[in-house]
Amino acid sequence: MPERARLDFDAWSFRLVMGGLTAVTVFFLLFPTVIVILTSFTASESLKFPPDGYSLRWYAALLGADQMRRAAWNSLEVAVMATAASVALGTAGALAIGRSRAWWAHALDSLFMSPLLLPGLAFGFAALMYVSLLGVELSLATLTVGHIVVCVPFVLRTTIASLAQLDPALLDSSASLGASPLFTFRRVTLPMIGRGIGAGAFIAFMASFDNIPVSLFLSDARTEVLPIHLWQIIDTHLDVRAASVSAVLIVLTLLLMLVAERLAGLSRHLR
Amino acid sequence: MSRGHTLTLDGVTHRFGPVVAVRDVTLEIKAGELVCLLGPSGCGKTTLLRVIGGFLRQSAGCVLIDGAPVDPLPPNHRRVGIVFQNYALFPHMTVAENVAYGLEARGMPRGRIREQVAAMLGLVRMEAFAERYPRELSGGQQQRVALARALAVEPQILLLDEPFGALDKNLRIDMQIEVKRLQREAGITSILVTHDQEEALSIADRIAVLHRGAVAQFASPTEVYDRPATLFVNTFVGAANLLRGRVADGGAAVALDCGAVLPCPVGPELAPGAGVVVTVRPERLGFAAGPARDRLAATVRAVLPLGSLTIHEVELGDGSAIKVMAVRQAGEPALRPGDRVHCEVVSPDACAVFPEEDRERGDA
Ligand SMILES: Nc1ncnc2c1ncn2[C@@H]1O[C@H](COP(=O)(O)OP(=O)(O)O)[C@@H](O)[C@H]1O
Ligand SMILES: [Mg+2]
Repeated sequence: MPERARLDFDAWSFRLVMGGLTAVTVFFLLFPTVIVILTSFTASESLKFPPDGYSLRWYAALLGADQMRRAAWNSLEVAVMATAASVALGTAGALAIGRSRAWWAHALDSLFMSPLLLPGLAFGFAALMYVSLLGVELSLATLTVGHIVVCVPFVLRTTIASLAQLDPALLDSSASLGASPLFTFRRVTLPMIGRGIGAGAFIAFMASFDNIPVSLFLSDARTEVLPIHLWQIIDTHLDVRAASVSAVLIVLTLLLMLVAERLAGLSRHLR
Repeated sequence: MSRGHTLTLDGVTHRFGPVVAVRDVTLEIKAGELVCLLGPSGCGKTTLLRVIGGFLRQSAGCVLIDGAPVDPLPPNHRRVGIVFQNYALFPHMTVAENVAYGLEARGMPRGRIREQVAAMLGLVRMEAFAERYPRELSGGQQQRVALARALAVEPQILLLDEPFGALDKNLRIDMQIEVKRLQREAGITSILVTHDQEEALSIADRIAVLHRGAVAQFASPTEVYDRPATLFVNTFVGAANLLRGRVADGGAAVALDCGAVLPCPVGPELAPGAGVVVTVRPERLGFAAGPARDRLAATVRAVLPLGSLTIHEVELGDGSAIKVMAVRQAGEPALRPGDRVHCEVVSPDACAVFPEEDRERGDA
């Protein structure tokens, strides 16, 4: 029976794809993560798996690693500032273009989203040239501006998506009940799109915190950021502290995601 | 409660690019009146409502409340309440918070808000649901809340856009009675949009029938039903049989294509010999014993008993089919398919005569 054969084919292709994807994810995402975490507990001097013995010495070493702590602090500072600015700019941009069907809204949408498509390295390099052309010194400020450019699209996307879900009749009802546009924004629009903004802020924060290409070009010697510092210590002396700090970051990210999921049902806004 | 405000639409026209959605609409709505805007979908009802609410600025014409133009006022200063088909309750607020919303927006003190919310929930019999969220309510309950929310701010005009469209039939009748009661009690001038002619006939003080953006007739339900102003109104409101013919007997009758000559009230603008369409409602036709000049000879095609009534579909001499409705007698139907019958119009004023062009324009 051809009908039966088709069903079988559907079922098989479904199993094949799901099984394949699961295998790839487990093999290339989960296993490496677990291996890094296990390695970070090694008692020996080298990044070797499986470790010969276990200890917390590389976590203790993190406490003494001043340069790394400074880099982590820089990264955090830049990520917080870039996220705050992206939320303000992304939300305002989404409100302006999210509901409009005008041609300029489409054009602006594409323009604001372009940093996501442009290779980070190309943007970082171009930005560096531009900054030096303007005669501006590299600093935490230039770095933050660079991060804002690549983080805004995330907030813009999730906020536009949640605005699309917002029933315009709610806004009309609010106005007909006598509410001013500002009252409507505070009491209806913001609560309805808040989760979308939060989801965008979360991704923007992560994108800034582990951004390498833009940081590579736009940070000066004093404002080294964590991902680049990690790369350097691995590159120069295969330092086990790279493993322990990675483990700390993985755990912190998971915790942050759990909190976000609890507070705002994050995953529903990432689809 | 606010007592009675008049609403006047003066030559309101609205265009969306090349599309004329509302065409030169002029309506005088009395204080406390419930007017239905009736028309098929796409005829401009929602557009007209949005103009009145201030959400759309009309291309031409004027909206006046109590004789004063309100065109420059944005929706939040118009004091025009609106209830949408999907109710548009704020999903992140409880029933009580929804009803309080407009009062808070107007800066009413907390204590008075609480009293007003309680009074409104009492009015729509939803006190027990004050702390529920909209998603925890049925369609009818959501609609009561939407009404309470709109009425809480004491609007001068209340607009309802297809308010019963999403309810099932029994609930719809309950809510129609409820809305009518609330509207009477509040004495609030209201406009209800619907494409359901039965709803309009049962609930409205007056009906404005819209056709392609223009008002085809603005009159009481009985007037609209018994004396439709156009062929479109005649066929859209209630059922109508259409009979083609020509004006005869010097303008006192119409010679139908099927052979009969019906005495009808023919307007002076229709010259003898002009092609016309005569309309007769199925319930204003009956069966007569034998042939006559003004009777329509026909053959029964189908007999449909509908409880207290029976509908007969009969075929006339020229091949056209019409419906005849009769009160059902006890026992087996008296007529069967294939029987030869003679149909008679119960009185000359049961017929309406319209120019043939109306039909060719696609009005029916
Ligand atoms: N925003 C709009 N842009 C363009 N055309 C519209 C818009 N809204 C409505 N129309 C058109 O105006 C006409 C009337 O629409 P509407 O008022 O929604 O009708 P109704 O409520 O009676 O179904 C329709 O032909 C519709 O396609
Ligand atoms: Mg409509």
